[in-house]
Amino acid sequence: MRPIDLFDNYLSGKLSGEEVKAFETQLSSDSVFANAFEQHKILIDTLNKAEKRNAFKNKLKAIHSQAFGNDAKIVSIKEETNTKRYVKSFAYVASVAVIAVLSTVAVLSTGGYLLKQQSNQITNLMREMIDLKASSEAVSGAIVEGITKGKQKTVYAPANLEGSAFALNNKGYIITSSHMVNGADSVFIQNGSLERTLTEVVLINAKLDIAILKVVNKDLAKSWEVPFLFNEKPTDIGEKVYTLGYPRKDMVYGEGSLSSLSGYFNDTSMYQISIPVNPGNSGGPLLNDQGNVIGVIRGKITGAEATGFAVKSNEIFKVISSLPSDSVKEELMSKPKKQTLKGLKRTEQIKRINPYVFNVLVYKKD
Amino acid sequence: MSRSKVQFTEDQFIDGLRTGNNEVLSALYKKYYNIVLKFIVNNSGTQEAAQDIYQETIIVLYENVQKPSFELNCQLQTYIFSIAKRLWLKQLKKSSKTFLFKEDGENELVDVSEEITEHLNKEVELDKLNQSLAELGEPCATLIKDFYVQKLSMDEIAEKFGYTNADNAKNQKYKCLQRLKKCFFEILPVEQIERK
Repeated sequence: MRPIDLFDNYLSGKLSGEEVKAFETQLSSDSVFANAFEQHKILIDTLNKAEKRNAFKNKLKAIHSQAFGNDAKIVSIKEETNTKRYVKSFAYVASVAVIAVLSTVAVLSTGGYLLKQQSNQITNLMREMIDLKASSEAVSGAIVEGITKGKQKTVYAPANLEGSAFALNNKGYIITSSHMVNGADSVFIQNGSLERTLTEVVLINAKLDIAILKVVNKDLAKSWEVPFLFNEKPTDIGEKVYTLGYPRKDMVYGEGSLSSLSGYFNDTSMYQISIPVNPGNSGGPLLNDQGNVIGVIRGKITGAEATGFAVKSNEIFKVISSLPSDSVKEELMSKPKKQTLKGLKRTEQIKRINPYVFNVLVYKKD
Repeated sequence: MSRSKVQFTEDQFIDGLRTGNNEVLSALYKKYYNIVLKFIVNNSGTQEAAQDIYQETIIVLYENVQKPSFELNCQLQTYIFSIAKRLWLKQLKKSSKTFLFKEDGENELVDVSEEITEHLNKEVELDKLNQSLAELGEPCATLIKDFYVQKLSMDEIAEKFGYTNADNAKNQKYKCLQRLKKCFFEILPVEQIERK
């Protein structure tokens, strides 16, 4: 029995007399076990206290509005909110400024791209990090450090490239675009529920513009329960689709429909979609109404703002199944257990998908 | 408001709080609000701030009353006011705004340092837990609460969350709790608690 199950059974009186004896003997002889049990009790106890507290708070709020009306807005002014709000709003302003500059840069650089390489008109949507971004991050980092004394904050060097990625399965594999990770020195992923973590590139297919990464620290993926499945057949024109990605620090949602079953130059490995995609969207998932992944965002047509391209999910599996059989292939073929998004409202779907869409940060040596 | 008001004695208030009597709680809440409101609004606070501080005050009172050792050595009003004042002063000190503080002689004060310190320590723990739960996300947070707080069985949880059987639900709960543990015990306190 796993320790946690044992703890639960002991606390709820589900152990037999002999088992209780054995449990208590272990408690007195095994200090690691005893500490783990102590932590377990503290956590469960705090959980109950917190729930009781929340219930009581709600009761008071109800009494208040019943007695004194709702005219007084319920604004909590906890000790730290003032400073936090300030930092937050600063970060927000900074990021807006950065986006403004970035989008200008994107337009300018795509112009240049067009002149140089007329044959390749798909703009890769990686986000090139520029000095302004770095300096604004440094400034806000300094503010955070200055204000929240005692709280540790690691300030990272700005990445050379940023984009999106998402989980392939519960084994810690992640899909992104190969143009993101080409020539990368190190590739990290992060999001609201995962601290910045190192990955290794396990597969690159330049033709499809697909790369597969793996989380280096396996333990991080232990609790993964990827909520979506991958469509293994092409879907229909007109289907409503949406994407999630990191064109900036916070995740951004975009929706539209599937406008063509082929991509630029009739490339049948791609879908054309009517979602405005931006630098940073590269490598993000393209999902349908049921919450199935149907593709990976690849790029957009230069100059056409509301047209994007995505690599079809079935093409990715063709590539994976063509690999020579070995343990990596076996792990790559592993699929998320089941779809848990069907029938849910879009907002609910996104909440569940959220932890499995990542911001990719790529560092290059030169 | 024209309904006949039941008047409670202080002992009745305290007994009612102990037993979780909603009628008593409601009457108590209404009775002392204005004293706290007046004090806070007179001392650089808004009505919203007063409401928050007052509710926090009632929480402190409520939790202390539950202790077997609780003994009220002054008027209930003095006790409530002393807690509210300490909480408000702490908050004012934290904010960088300059403020005018009017000492008022009309309300007596008692020493509630112990209560305040204990309350703030507990707040840090609860905040940490709430943060960890938020970090954990759904369905984990609800699943954990359903099992450990609502005491639902694994069968009920399996049905509620759509797991095929109780064993799957149990595995899921196991994973969720592992993550919660990690979050909870690794988050550093947001700030040092001011002891005095």
